[in-house]
Amino acid sequence: MISLTLDGRAIQVQPGTNVLQAALSNGIHIPHLCHHPDLRPSGGCRLCMVEIGGRPNPAAACGLLAEEGMAVTTQSERLTEMRREIIDLFVSDHPLRCVTCDKNGVCALQRYAYDYGISETSFDFELSRTLYQDDNPMFVRDHQYCILCGRCTRVCDEIVGANAIEISGRGFVSHVATPFDWAMSDSTCVFCGNCVQVCPVAALMPRGRIGMGREWELEHVRTICGYCGVGCGIDYAAKDGKILYAQGFPEAVVNGEFLCVKGRFGWDFVGNPERLTRPLVRRDLAHRLGLIDDPFSLPEESVFTSRIGVENFVPVDWETAVDIVAGQLLGTVEAHGPDAVAGLTSARCTNEDNYLFQKLMRVGIGTNNIDHCARL
Amino acid sequence: MTNSIREIRQADCILITGSNTAESHPVISYEVIRAVKSGANLILIDPRRVPLARHATHYLQAQPGTDIYVFLAMAHLILREGLADTEFLAQRVEGFEDFRACVAEHTPEAAALISGVPAEQIETAARLYAGGERAFGTSAFGEGRGHSTILYAMGITQRSIGTQLVQMLANLAMLTGQVGKPSTGVNPLRGQSNVQGACDVGGLPEYLPGYQRVEDDVKRRQVAQAWGLDDLPSRAGLTVVEMMHAAAEGKLKAMYVMGENPLMSDPDLQHVEKALRNLDFLVVQDIFFNETAQLAHVILPAAASLEKDGTMTNTERRVQLLRPVVRAPGEARPDWSILAEVGTRIDRRRALEREVEFWEFASTADVMDEIATVTPIYRGVRHHRLRQAGLTWPVPDARHPGTPTLHVGTFSRGKGQMLPVTAQMPAEQPDAEYPLILSTGRTLYHYHSGTMTRRSEGLAWREPRSYAEINEADAARLGARDGGPIVIVSRRGQVRTQARVGKRVPAGTVFLSFHWREAPANLLTHDFGLDPKAKIPEYKICAVRVEVPKRGRG
Repeated sequence: MISLTLDGRAIQVQPGTNVLQAALSNGIHIPHLCHHPDLRPSGGCRLCMVEIGGRPNPAAACGLLAEEGMAVTTQSERLTEMRREIIDLFVSDHPLRCVTCDKNGVCALQRYAYDYGISETSFDFELSRTLYQDDNPMFVRDHQYCILCGRCTRVCDEIVGANAIEISGRGFVSHVATPFDWAMSDSTCVFCGNCVQVCPVAALMPRGRIGMGREWELEHVRTICGYCGVGCGIDYAAKDGKILYAQGFPEAVVNGEFLCVKGRFGWDFVGNPERLTRPLVRRDLAHRLGLIDDPFSLPEESVFTSRIGVENFVPVDWETAVDIVAGQLLGTVEAHGPDAVAGLTSARCTNEDNYLFQKLMRVGIGTNNIDHCARL
Repeated sequence: MTNSIREIRQADCILITGSNTAESHPVISYEVIRAVKSGANLILIDPRRVPLARHATHYLQAQPGTDIYVFLAMAHLILREGLADTEFLAQRVEGFEDFRACVAEHTPEAAALISGVPAEQIETAARLYAGGERAFGTSAFGEGRGHSTILYAMGITQRSIGTQLVQMLANLAMLTGQVGKPSTGVNPLRGQSNVQGACDVGGLPEYLPGYQRVEDDVKRRQVAQAWGLDDLPSRAGLTVVEMMHAAAEGKLKAMYVMGENPLMSDPDLQHVEKALRNLDFLVVQDIFFNETAQLAHVILPAAASLEKDGTMTNTERRVQLLRPVVRAPGEARPDWSILAEVGTRIDRRRALEREVEFWEFASTADVMDEIATVTPIYRGVRHHRLRQAGLTWPVPDARHPGTPTLHVGTFSRGKGQMLPVTAQMPAEQPDAEYPLILSTGRTLYHYHSGTMTRRSEGLAWREPRSYAEINEADAARLGARDGGPIVIVSRRGQVRTQARVGKRVPAGTVFLSFHWREAPANLLTHDFGLDPKAKIPEYKICAVRVEVPKRGRG
């Protein structure tokens, strides 16, 4: 372990830890915009400048390895002046339209502008980037808000390995771009949206979130993704019972802040109007049971050439539906024995669902004919 | 998985085979990318040049169905060059001599002839894996043998020799001592959110909750007693493919299908349709009117995973808590409460008097309390313990912290069992009439039968229709153009789709995803090449031919 002091406080860290990590993990907040705990330090934003005892010049804490005996000062008048200057420069080409901005309340630049009392720039305001790219249904790239921190390009390279975007051009005209500024869909982008996740400002925003509500009006629920077997933790932001966006979160034990395209953008099937909302009984059975007058028989043509529609079913209440199911299953057991019944349980349902399903089959019916798509 | 997902990032060498990790388990591929970027070797053995091949330090493109020869040859070389972990073999493993004998004939040169992978590549892969060698950088595990991990998925298991292949991967891990330590192990990547849990809690024909065999009189009666019964059915039931055969033959009369879509996801769909039509009664419980529901007599509307609570167990055996985000639409209800209701009705009709708690549960937490009483590996699982990071089973008691890494110090069964493996080619070989090999699987943007993902705006926009990957050499020979229509024909049926011409599949192979009801891949697959133990169909290999339809003049 390495011992150092931060603002006079003695702390110990593992060798190889940088000063920014050391401070953050010990509850000392050093402002930072380009740093992300899962990404390599880039030293781009310079907000995390700190003073080191015995050295004349401040240094960026993210690029500074903790050393034995190091005495670090994270707050001083000189550092405050430097940070104010940096934020002032950032907002000289970042619109402070916070009132209508969807990032309002969770924007890192807004936070530091507040912390350091910058309400407007002292420079001539001039937008360096104005590109607005709305080329896919999943996220929007609004370059006027971009601060070129490079988190998006690093996550795309270091975590996802897609390398779809890079910083292109030099100086004021530099911007985050796909090769030749192609549409996202023509690049190697896999639409995981991890760039959206790590963007500290409103340059990358989930499409469905824009204009739908202010951050503090949203309800956040953390649950587990329903797709593959990785079991990512997802934080869903909802308003008025409707999901607006999904994101990872640092405490998610499997995935942290990172998700794939299905987890981040593939949840909108829940509100689809085609959802089943009432128990249904097919017309031939309904007729047999005296629920409807008209007879019906299932078309014989293969469902792969002629789809059978939901109109061939009649809605019933739950009482009736469950009673029919119990009656039909028991009737089969009485006529043909319990092993004439089989059940397919589900790899997409919960443990509690599956447990009760096998209990129903083993005890209610009396058969071990239970399987699911583990094999498929 | 024997080890946890987060351990992958520190592995020195990663062997991935039969897994399109970046598309089927993207978040696990992020772990792999992290490891590779910090210096791990990535050995990828797969007939298909899947996206991770771009990051692989060593890509071995084995011809479909020949990977077993590559693995045997790797073991051969490890033994020949003395790279085995002799201490591990002596202390922790049995069956080594029989295994050694079975690899004697499998030289890398012989494997190269069959698999198309040059012998030197097989040798290099074997050396890197055995030694846990890095490409650069320093190991997190100090001096000595680095840590190697194996990741595999359905490319290994959906095969007529699936269990042999899994045993072979376990043999490789035991041979080199690459198991029972951090960032090592034999790690199947499971495909569905709760496929692990569905197996754990008894959703299998031969196992009661906690993998207790139904034929085991002692364990079965223990479960029966916990439920207040004398005994339970003792004969193993039918697996999914066997069910379809039994239904077609008229032996099976009624089926209850919850959250599954066999009329898309099972092999040989024409046969499945015949089977399901032959049933006297079919109840489908689901969130959408899916393909299977077309043939149902009763359809029960269920709540989706975003609308309910409960737990799911991921591929690393972590039991995690689900919380409802939105309300279920209309009268849709969570599956567990529907099942409890059906159970109650069945008992009522039978005039059975049971304890109130038998089917009545106040919450899913209550159900979990009962699961814990009958499931030894979940004994210590309670909902209130899962709020932070979940728990990784086995959790033998209420204070146990869980078991992220299996087989540390000793294997679950005591000694690790090495078994000889017999190489064998796939059940259906290409011939003059069906000269190509079809492999089926997932794409990044869709999931299983597409019921959910095809109703997602973004996903459907990115991948709106079925396509088949075909090698440019085959395409040129057949006159198929990129984006143009092709018809894939097998002995079971035919599917019309769009050609995606390139180098992703080797010549002689076609890949088709199974998400599309307009082009159901499983009309083509067969159900006769089941693995004898696991009863898994050989989705990854069947024989087909590709035809290019004549262009219409209208």
